[in-house]
Amino acid sequence: MDIRESIRSYILAEFLPGEDPANLEDTTPLIASGILDSLATMRLVGFIEEEFSVEIGPHETDPEYIGTIDSIERLVRSKLDGAR
Amino acid sequence: MGSGSIAVARRAGIADNSAAEKHAISLPKFFMVLGQLILLLLCVRQFQIESDAFLQVFVLVIAGFCVHYFLPFAWRIHWFLALSIASIFLVFGWTNALWMILIGCGLIFLCHVPIAYRYRIALIAAAAVVLGTLRTSSIALPFSAAVWPILGSMFMYRMIVYLYDLKHDRVPLGLSHRLAYFFMLPNVCFPLFPVVDSNNFRRLYYSEERHATYQTGVVWITRGIIHLLLYRYVYYYLTVAPADVVNAGSLIQFLVANFLLYLRVSGLFHLVIGLLHLFGFALPETHKLYYLSSSFTDFWRRINIYWKDFMMKVFYYPVYFRLKRFGSTSALVWSTLLVFLLTWMLHSYQWFWLRGSFPIEWQDGVFWGLLAVVVVINSVWEINTRRSRALGAVRWYSKRSLGKSVRIILVFASICSMWSLWTCESMEEWLDMWSVLARSQVTLAGLLLGAIGFVVAVLTISVIDSSMSNARQQQITNKGDRGPFSSRRMTATVLQVILLAAIGLPQVYTMLNADAANFILSLRSEKLSRTDTQKLEKGYYEDLIRVDRFNSQLWEVYSKKPVDWLAVTGSGLKQFRDDFLQEELRPSSRSLTEHGDITTNEWGMRDQSYSKAPDAGSFRMALLGASSVMGWGVADSETFDAVLEKKLNSSAVELGYDKVEILNFGVAGYYPLQQIMALDYALEFQPQAVFYIATGREYRRAAYYLYDVIAKQIAIPYPYLRDLAARAGIDSSTTETEALRRLRPYDKELLQWLYREIVARCRAHAITPVWVFLPQVNRGRWEENVAETVQDAKDAGFATINLLDVYGSHPIEQVQLTEWDFHPNALGHNLVAQRLYRELLDHRDVYFAR
Repeated sequence: MDIRESIRSYILAEFLPGEDPANLEDTTPLIASGILDSLATMRLVGFIEEEFSVEIGPHETDPEYIGTIDSIERLVRSKLDGAR
Repeated sequence: MGSGSIAVARRAGIADNSAAEKHAISLPKFFMVLGQLILLLLCVRQFQIESDAFLQVFVLVIAGFCVHYFLPFAWRIHWFLALSIASIFLVFGWTNALWMILIGCGLIFLCHVPIAYRYRIALIAAAAVVLGTLRTSSIALPFSAAVWPILGSMFMYRMIVYLYDLKHDRVPLGLSHRLAYFFMLPNVCFPLFPVVDSNNFRRLYYSEERHATYQTGVVWITRGIIHLLLYRYVYYYLTVAPADVVNAGSLIQFLVANFLLYLRVSGLFHLVIGLLHLFGFALPETHKLYYLSSSFTDFWRRINIYWKDFMMKVFYYPVYFRLKRFGSTSALVWSTLLVFLLTWMLHSYQWFWLRGSFPIEWQDGVFWGLLAVVVVINSVWEINTRRSRALGAVRWYSKRSLGKSVRIILVFASICSMWSLWTCESMEEWLDMWSVLARSQVTLAGLLLGAIGFVVAVLTISVIDSSMSNARQQQITNKGDRGPFSSRRMTATVLQVILLAAIGLPQVYTMLNADAANFILSLRSEKLSRTDTQKLEKGYYEDLIRVDRFNSQLWEVYSKKPVDWLAVTGSGLKQFRDDFLQEELRPSSRSLTEHGDITTNEWGMRDQSYSKAPDAGSFRMALLGASSVMGWGVADSETFDAVLEKKLNSSAVELGYDKVEILNFGVAGYYPLQQIMALDYALEFQPQAVFYIATGREYRRAAYYLYDVIAKQIAIPYPYLRDLAARAGIDSSTTETEALRRLRPYDKELLQWLYREIVARCRAHAITPVWVFLPQVNRGRWEENVAETVQDAKDAGFATINLLDVYGSHPIEQVQLTEWDFHPNALGHNLVAQRLYRELLDHRDVYFAR
């Protein structure tokens, strides 16, 4: 499962429809750029929980965890690794 | 960088491969940053940005930055802590600083007591209760009360975030880093301080290339100063009182100016976070073009971002996650409503630590309630419609950009309207203000002008917003932007800094024409606006408790005022009368104050004892006036009346009399119209001269008193006043704002009548009427209408003395009673007495005529 691609596709489809995919890099700051606000964060968390069968805590909505596609991937991987 | 530094960098979350690059020394860049900081220091000094304490701390910051820059990475956080602690000693002195640090360390220690987390929370809550009790009690503490607001601003919110992050193991790691989080420079100068997140404080410390972080700090400090100067312009020149709203134009000015006053908060927060950047804390911005919000949710996201993040992190997300099993929409609605309810409560909680009281105000409730409702509606709408976002460039003429501009205008207008609630004392006053729209005549030309204005505004905002958005996206995606050291951004910042530093120099602004020079001069110091001066005066006269909550500038002045500051009401100094005069001084009373005794004689004058009829051979003068005449804030022997009488008696023989008596009929809180009755009483003592002392804003104060007696349904013994009230259409049901608005066309006429009446009564008793202008001691525009009032006094037949420059070259602080009380102190009274003495002697033929 390509976590990174899955998250990128979701973000592009849900929050950036019509946007050039090249503009969204793995290190693009999702919160500082305004892509992820509180509403989008909640939807993204719902998607991650459903897609990867993991549980995200309220404290994991910080930029440290969901600030970029890279950090989201790390978060998901750590959850999946912890579950094994 | 040594291996120790890399280890610390690793612990702080800094990647090894970039650490060396991030911490490399570049002398050209260092000197570039330092040069700009020195120019900014000049700006802070020339424009008196904030307080003298801030100037000292800014010097400390620059000196500290120079050392910090060359320190190994591992030492820098210890150095920052040392500077932070030094700033507390610098501003508060040894004793207060030691107590502040002791209490603070105690609280931090409680966070780390090795017991279960919930017991630690209970311990800290108990400590907060103890501190809260001390905050409000009258127990004498070994430190100044000034410690509380700063201690409160350091711990009241940061402690909550810290505990939250502690639970999730994300607080700063080293002891110095933890202590620095709470005692952080420059908090000691700012009771209003952004809620810095402890996780960000840890995570973002030297998270970017050091020079880019420093230069961003310079940019934000510059932006902060610009915001503060813009704020001063709005505050001094654009704000209007609700009673001055008379048509659609002044209503718009009122609404917009009040919202723009928020520039002060955004300016201060930029300044604070900019300073933190100089020590490596690459914290996020605190405000993001909040005047360009395109929806209510957008407004909530852009204004005071640190507050929003704090509320989201500690309350919103935890509640949302618990409720989401009931459906995402209902979870969103309830968590949003909770956030706004808590925002309201936490503002009162903040007020408690800053001021010692826990106010529950209707304005706050209505504002936060309204904002909660519109944000919830907006959020649900955004969920259903999916708000569009973009990373690429936006063209200003695109349909999307123009549509956004229209939304920006509508949101701005709505927020301005809601914001105005905070400026009105009652809902009635707020509704009255809007009633001017119903009375305004709508003309075709007006409609056309409005339509053209709207189109121009849409186009302008579209250009500004799209260019700002594009520049921001470039920064975020790093496309075409080389950071704060790029030549374009660097040139812009340096030019701004040089311009700011230059126009603050007298050698530069005096080269401009007189109006421009005066304008810049007016921006060079912090003072209360005309509107706030009126509010402060009103608070003083009526003992209003809300006067300190209108806005931050007035609040800051009031926050320094001790709760038990001299109050006219309730001290037993006055007694009520059931007639037009309403109150008078209690005869033969003695009140003790920290400024000395206030003693009244058997006739109810703050004066020595006199016989009712003057002795043969004496010259008797009567003084009419308010608090400055009564001698508010000075001892019995220090009033200008007492000093002047003593001096005149040393020259009595020269004047041709055995002695001179000055009877003081001044009563604190008297308005001009009350002086007619005061004069009637004074006439019983057979004076040969009556001195009416005016202290400014005579027109408005006369009008206000007329409204006051009508509202209280007090019988008005003067037919002219009854007739004027009828002509203006005022009765006891008219609200204050509306009454003052209706009286505005008549206020000059009202004062002229008063002056003529006083002169006529004096002449009927062969008394010389003298009118004296005595300014209040402040930097504001208190003395407005002076020239007109002097002319009115002359026209009425008074001999006039203008003491506008009586305090000469003395700095305001030397002659002002206190920062929150504009009465002259003992030195001020002495200067008034000396000046009056010279005037009276120089024109003895006028004032001592037989």
